[in-house]
Amino acid sequence: MKKKVFAFVMAAVMVFTMAACGNNDTPANTDADGADSVIKIGGIGPLTGSYANYGISVKNGAEVAVEEINANGGINGMQIELQFQDSQGDPESAVNAYGKLMDWGMDVSLGGVFSGETASIVAAANEDDVMLITPSGSADGCIAGNDKAFRVCFYDSFQGAAAANYIQENGLATEVGVFYESDYDYSVGLYNSFTEQCAANGITIKETQTFTTSTNTDFSTQINALVASGVKVVFMPIYAEEASTFLTQAKGKFADDVYFFGADGLDGILGKVEQDPSIANNVLMLTPFAADSTDPAVQSFVKKYQTAYNAVPDQFAADAYDAVYTIKTAVEKAGTTSGAALAQVMTEITVEGITGKMTWGADGNTDKPASAILYYDGVGSLFDAQ
Amino acid sequence: MTHFIQTLISGLSLGSIYALIALGYTMVYGIAKMLNFAHGDVIMIGAYTGIIAVLTAGMPPVAAVFLCVAVCTLLGVLIERFAYKPLRKASPLSVLITAIGVSYLLQNVALIAFGSQQKAFPSLITLPAVTVGGISIDGITILTLAVTAVIMIALTLFINKTKLGKAMRAVSEDKGAAELMGISVDRTITMTFAIGSALAAFASIFYGMTYVYIKPTTGAMPGIKAFTAAVFGGIGSVPGAMLGGIMLGLIEQFSKTYISTLWADAIVFSVLVLVLIVKPSGLLGKTVREKV
Amino acid sequence: MEKIKKSIPLNRDYVTLAVVVVIYGVVAVMLYGGGLTRQVSNMLIPISVYIVLAVSLNLVVGLLGELSLGHAGFMSVGLFTGCLLSIALSSVLPMPVRLPLSMIFGGLFAALFGFLVGLPALRLKGDYLAIVTLACGEIIKNIITNLNITGGALGLNTNAIYSNSKKLLPYAFVLVCLTILVMANLKSSKQGRAIMAIRDNRIAAESIGINITYFKLAVFVIAAFFAGAAGTLYGHFFANVKAASFDYNMSIEILVIVVLGGMGSVSGSIIAAIVLQALPEVSRAFGDYRMLVYAIVLILVMLATNNPKVKLMLEQYKNRKNRRKGAGKEET
Repeated sequence: MKKKVFAFVMAAVMVFTMAACGNNDTPANTDADGADSVIKIGGIGPLTGSYANYGISVKNGAEVAVEEINANGGINGMQIELQFQDSQGDPESAVNAYGKLMDWGMDVSLGGVFSGETASIVAAANEDDVMLITPSGSADGCIAGNDKAFRVCFYDSFQGAAAANYIQENGLATEVGVFYESDYDYSVGLYNSFTEQCAANGITIKETQTFTTSTNTDFSTQINALVASGVKVVFMPIYAEEASTFLTQAKGKFADDVYFFGADGLDGILGKVEQDPSIANNVLMLTPFAADSTDPAVQSFVKKYQTAYNAVPDQFAADAYDAVYTIKTAVEKAGTTSGAALAQVMTEITVEGITGKMTWGADGNTDKPASAILYYDGVGSLFDAQ
Repeated sequence: MTHFIQTLISGLSLGSIYALIALGYTMVYGIAKMLNFAHGDVIMIGAYTGIIAVLTAGMPPVAAVFLCVAVCTLLGVLIERFAYKPLRKASPLSVLITAIGVSYLLQNVALIAFGSQQKAFPSLITLPAVTVGGISIDGITILTLAVTAVIMIALTLFINKTKLGKAMRAVSEDKGAAELMGISVDRTITMTFAIGSALAAFASIFYGMTYVYIKPTTGAMPGIKAFTAAVFGGIGSVPGAMLGGIMLGLIEQFSKTYISTLWADAIVFSVLVLVLIVKPSGLLGKTVREKV
Repeated sequence: MEKIKKSIPLNRDYVTLAVVVVIYGVVAVMLYGGGLTRQVSNMLIPISVYIVLAVSLNLVVGLLGELSLGHAGFMSVGLFTGCLLSIALSSVLPMPVRLPLSMIFGGLFAALFGFLVGLPALRLKGDYLAIVTLACGEIIKNIITNLNITGGALGLNTNAIYSNSKKLLPYAFVLVCLTILVMANLKSSKQGRAIMAIRDNRIAAESIGINITYFKLAVFVIAAFFAGAAGTLYGHFFANVKAASFDYNMSIEILVIVVLGGMGSVSGSIIAAIVLQALPEVSRAFGDYRMLVYAIVLILVMLATNNPKVKLMLEQYKNRKNRRKGAGKEET
């Protein structure tokens, strides 16, 4: 019996190895580019679970753009089809979702909503010759190693440096405190570039405090330390949820002229402190997109978004909207959806988006001007440093 | 020095919450001899009950507290009846896995019912902060400590002086013998769960007032830490749970202030591991010898 | 009769192995022949990894009867050490040498951590041990997140060693087979019976001279080794890996597989791993309800297997089957 089984195993192993050796990789996406009458755009992000709000924003923003483009005759006469797969923010699930989209015949990928999701599919997209443009995957490394991968949002090291520059240019402070999430890539990425740029700008980081995902409820010791340091600006590259916890516990402890300076992660902070909007007083947020901007393009987008989804679009939605229009511009110029051809024209095009004027470098990043919004008593307005 | 005292206060604040949760743990573990993993999640449900009662239904704070206690007690009894009671004779492993299952069940029901976004707990009472020598202590912290102490004393008296308390001690000592003496083991354990869960309701209210934001996963970490606190103090010992909770809160905050917030997780969990390995009988507990 | 009884568990696990080999053979033919959709082929490596994780955790839970809530931590240790080695060697060695070497290296490192975590197991059991393993998993996560060499919170960039399903499948196949072989051999060996004796009655086992310390540690070390090797393989399938993904929730997910498949059952773990990994893919709308279903599965399986009526039914079924088998054997 034993011998028989052993032989059986060996035979299977042999068959297996032969199969493994005898077949070279063939591109899975074999449909002839340009032959379709539609362009299929696939997106991946959390539509359920703890981070669903981000995924839904991106999906909605992209849908608004797709509807607009299709109503105006599509791209080179071809209509766009958009499919969005739920990943719950999990990189492993994103890989499966990517597979599903490839089976569907995806031509261009919107990557993942999060950096982790984008990073987990970026290598596969390269192999498949599919251009990837993520609206919101901001970690520097998440599109690395693939020259057909781009992004619309700020990249983390740019944002951190931009924040340090902003503090210096507007003379906000020479001594700052930092509060960040030490086990979260977004937060650490911004922190690293912020400290680097501070050193270059001659800004002293007087106090650094951290927390982790599993210790994100009690910030009393961190708040005490930051208050004791006497800094006038606390840089907090964290998400709105943790920021609201921090600000709630810190209420009344900091002096009235202390600014809490954050980046795009703080988007949506007012929604988190509905019980007392004054908690978010003195919060400054660096952003490329402001829903109350007077720019007609922005206003038209905000209006369409509000009619369709009954919500004010945030930065994630705006980035997704711009991503779809970027795809349109690139495909029109290249005349094909092949990843290599699109990647080539990406560095040549300029897109006037609702998040700013964008051009791309070979590394896939775009530099956009950032402005800061100041929140006070539940109202956000463009910050104007005297 | 100011820094030291501030840390002491935040340690006491956190510790008093742990102590309140640990009281519930020590009751259940001491008597039913099972780790009720879902205890922390009962607290989470209690906190959501408070939010709905005050913000949605507009109930006055006192009524909301009563509702919280009622909901938690009922939930505790139901969990015991449907998940743990059928496993009374099963292996400890089966009971533990079931408890983890119940914990996940509550978390995910809350996720579907209330969403993943955090919700703010209403401030039921506003207490003035007490300022001593330039350092202010939150009124809530003082109230939490006071309530925990009162509950601890009441619980000690209950266990030692009443008939039901005696029955609980008997069940804890030897289920079989207790049964033979005419004590209904099932009823006693149900009672234990009812009391433990009622304590969870108080913990949920004070947690909500101290830390404000409630999420479906809110109960998980404090639950595990409070279990450690209960072990630290000596499982089954009511004053031990209070002492253990406060000690753990102080250790956590002092290590965050004076060592590093970067390593806060590792430090807290190392304390947990050390306590369980080095002093599994706890500070005030008695060493139980295994019967052969 | 004595001999037949002994050979039953042995046969069954080898049959499982044979079936697994056949399945992999069929899958391989379809994968390399181009008959599989991308979605399915992308699932092959994660499913294989989860099979290895579940079977190795089953050693601890099913055979030793202790609960380990830190299995994802061991996997994480193996993943980062193995992948770091693989990255360092990526330009020196070809993949057929480098990957197995890295998997062994990752496995050994994880085994070392298994040893360290297993040490407290000498003093603890039951609930306390479960909490200690949970804590150790979280400590491992915290350490890896704060290290520079592992990429810290930004994650390790594994682009240099990234491979797709087609390239990784043969390695996954060998790892799965090895895990099943070790588990099958252990179960039917003298050592395996000693471990099960510890599970069933520790005091009695000790009294007949079974070295509890040794066996408990051995189980933790072996289980951690396979989790670590699986971790290394897993890391090769992604372009970026973060320690934060391998938390307590992942350990619970592995536990759910073990419990659903039946504690101690190799074939059960494999089937459960496939089903639970494939299920969310069948319907992505499942989303929010996945963990809820897991929780209900945990509770129901525990309640059913401890229900006297169900137990009796299972026993009768087993007896009938054994009798039939026994009769068959005697005839030949």
